[in-house]
Amino acid sequence: MTKPKISSDWMAGCSGCHMSLLDIDERLLEIAELADIRATPITDLKEPDESGVDVGILEGGVNNSSNEEVAHRMRSRCKILVAFGDCAVFGGVPALRNMCGTQEALQRAYVDIESNEANSKIPSDPELATMSNVRALHEVVKVDLHVPGCPPDPDVIYYVLKELAEGRMPDMKDENLHWH
Amino acid sequence: MINLTINGKTIEVEDGTTVLNAARQNDIKIPTLCDHPNLTPYGGCRLCMVEVKGMRVPIAACTLPASNGMVIETETPALKTSRNVILSLLFSERNHFCPFCQVSGGDCELQNAAYDEHMTHWPIQPQWTNFPVDTSHPFFILDNNRCILCRRCIRACAEMSGNFTLNVEERGSATIVVADTNVPLGQSSCISCGSCVQVCPTGALIDRQSAYLGHDKNLTTTRSICRGCSLGCGIQIHTRDNRIVKITGDYEAANAGTLCKYGRFFPVEQKQARITSPMKRVGKQLVATTWEDALATLTTNIKPLKGKVAALASTRLSVEALSTFKSLFKEGLGSDMVTSVEEGRPTALQATYVDKNGSPIEGKLDTLRTADCVLLVGVDLANTHEVAGFYIKRNIPKGTRLIVIDPNENGMDDQANINLKPKAGTDEAVFNAIEASVIKEGLARTGAKKGKSTLAAALKVCGLAEEDVKDTARMLAESVAPVIVFGKGISMSGDSAVMDAMVRVANVIGASDSERKGLFSVKGEANSLAASLLGLEDVFEVKNHKAAYIAMGDDYVTKRLIAKLEKIPYLIVQASYESELTERADLVLPVDIWAEETGHSLNLDGHLQLAYAALTAPEGVHSNLNVLNEVARALGVTVNDDWHAALTKRTSVVELDL
Repeated sequence: MTKPKISSDWMAGCSGCHMSLLDIDERLLEIAELADIRATPITDLKEPDESGVDVGILEGGVNNSSNEEVAHRMRSRCKILVAFGDCAVFGGVPALRNMCGTQEALQRAYVDIESNEANSKIPSDPELATMSNVRALHEVVKVDLHVPGCPPDPDVIYYVLKELAEGRMPDMKDENLHWH
Repeated sequence: MINLTINGKTIEVEDGTTVLNAARQNDIKIPTLCDHPNLTPYGGCRLCMVEVKGMRVPIAACTLPASNGMVIETETPALKTSRNVILSLLFSERNHFCPFCQVSGGDCELQNAAYDEHMTHWPIQPQWTNFPVDTSHPFFILDNNRCILCRRCIRACAEMSGNFTLNVEERGSATIVVADTNVPLGQSSCISCGSCVQVCPTGALIDRQSAYLGHDKNLTTTRSICRGCSLGCGIQIHTRDNRIVKITGDYEAANAGTLCKYGRFFPVEQKQARITSPMKRVGKQLVATTWEDALATLTTNIKPLKGKVAALASTRLSVEALSTFKSLFKEGLGSDMVTSVEEGRPTALQATYVDKNGSPIEGKLDTLRTADCVLLVGVDLANTHEVAGFYIKRNIPKGTRLIVIDPNENGMDDQANINLKPKAGTDEAVFNAIEASVIKEGLARTGAKKGKSTLAAALKVCGLAEEDVKDTARMLAESVAPVIVFGKGISMSGDSAVMDAMVRVANVIGASDSERKGLFSVKGEANSLAASLLGLEDVFEVKNHKAAYIAMGDDYVTKRLIAKLEKIPYLIVQASYESELTERADLVLPVDIWAEETGHSLNLDGHLQLAYAALTAPEGVHSNLNVLNEVARALGVTVNDDWHAALTKRTSVVELDL
């Protein structure tokens, strides 16, 4: 039997969920034994295989056109899509800007903030991604498994990865269910 | 009794039990958010919907009375779906992002409900609307963004403290919780009792003192008794690393979870400087010393004086400490001035009356629960003994009428049906006028034909209008269960004629008779009644006293006391905190604060309760009782430690429940 392929990527998040993934420590070797870890932000491959992976894991909410691309690419290349961490599951901390709107958030961050130099401008390079409201991953693409947590606990991540690597769907409840 | 079946299990409950409570009593979990065991069922959140055999649609269990033969299912797939939808809608309405909320991770009932339903995400995302956050209150923050509109806070405000400050504005998803007519909480009619914070299921009401200092699972909880006043409310002291994080009302106690700001918030804020070592005066300076040296110094200075030592104790001390204090100074040293810092002001008048008449005259606090008319005299329950005021205020919408007699402004004036503002110091005439008016109206329950004074004469003295007194008399005499509550304003007069007149009024209106005792005094601090029973209620006068021993504990030092101690040549102070008193002292003995010692409190209606220590005292600090025992040993005095017997030597004003 071939090992299931796992790939991950990050979007509008803080990368903390991937840090928590590294926090499973030596159990990472066990997962690497059970599964074929493909493209992730912390491995050399940068995009999930075009030929597809079994499990796609996405951290972060969907905050602009670039994130949308990442989300759709992962969705189209994986069988099981995992929303990883509170930002991917709910929108998380970045989604707080939805309360005031994108424009006001940009104005505050790039112009009004006290530490900015005078005459600061909101970047307007056409090559930059187009911003949108921050959305949970399931608002953009179909999600098969939600793993909430800010970040998810290493023990929860280990449980989820082990179940997926061994071909089972994790049961997210009781000690494995924390939104933080 | 009623028999019903829930999830195949047949259970028996009392008549009138709701299905939700029936389930609770039998350890069957039905989820709920708006229901609270101490508040009237509301039926708002719809999380407790159950299927009842024979009924067309699911019903809310919290408002459904159980009836015989009912067959109920709580875990059908349809109900689980319905709960999921309800929770999804709740999460979609406001900002319920958990990571930056202080109750997330155990203390949030909303989050816990979602976990119980195995919700991993929100099927419907939030609507991204900002709701107001009110940070104007000194003790808590109201964040409407976290609110699920369960209205527990509103019900607590009304049903627990009877204050009716909180309510809602707007409709549907725009509904917000507001104070009064949407004024900032800090400027509203809020009295800071904190009941709303205690019952809030989410992080919408944030306690400034305890927020982010740990979840309930990180805190150690000690069930204890508030020492704030003589009511002796049950409390839970929540501590972490030997610090009080918060205090909550004990639902199991007589106060059923309700507290006032003096019980809930003030003790947590305590910022006075502690004394952690005995100190003695060397020249002009107070210098730290050992306990051994302190006791030796005390012996050298006190032993030769014998009866020339005046001794005062705070009525916040435990019953044990007060009894030992009395035994040490009165019986042991034979001092002629052994009293409390209250000097009997809140208790001596009625205690003397009972000494003369032989049997308890006061009733229990509980009479307020069923009172249909309350007369408050000489006491402002909005400023002291507040929880007793809550017992009255919350019954006002149910028809209980309130009469306030006070020459000055009274915090309960606004709630009163009748406010009588007599001339100051004319209490006897006020009571005589009421008595005469009741008799004149032909309503005297005693059948009395003539009062002590004529109505006209009494009115002339107190300056009240005849019409007002007549209304008062009718309101009191026509009610079924009237209760008179009096306070220091009456007892401080020291005038037995006032007491006699008040008792006569209690009799003619039927408040007190052979069956009922609808008259009681609020007394003073936590162990005011115990101090009175021990006879510690003399007026403190310095005669030829050469020294004074003040067992202050953690009590507040009044200017009045400082002034009286002016002429004392040698001053020993047993205290927890630095104060003007300890500055003046020649010898200072450091003691525990209330939360550091275990001891009994005897509350205003004679209910003896054990308060447990929740904190460990700093090193070198001893309990009040231990210090008194050490002092006795150093002076070679044997103290009587049978405080139980000491309490029962004098006839109590109220029946004791020891």
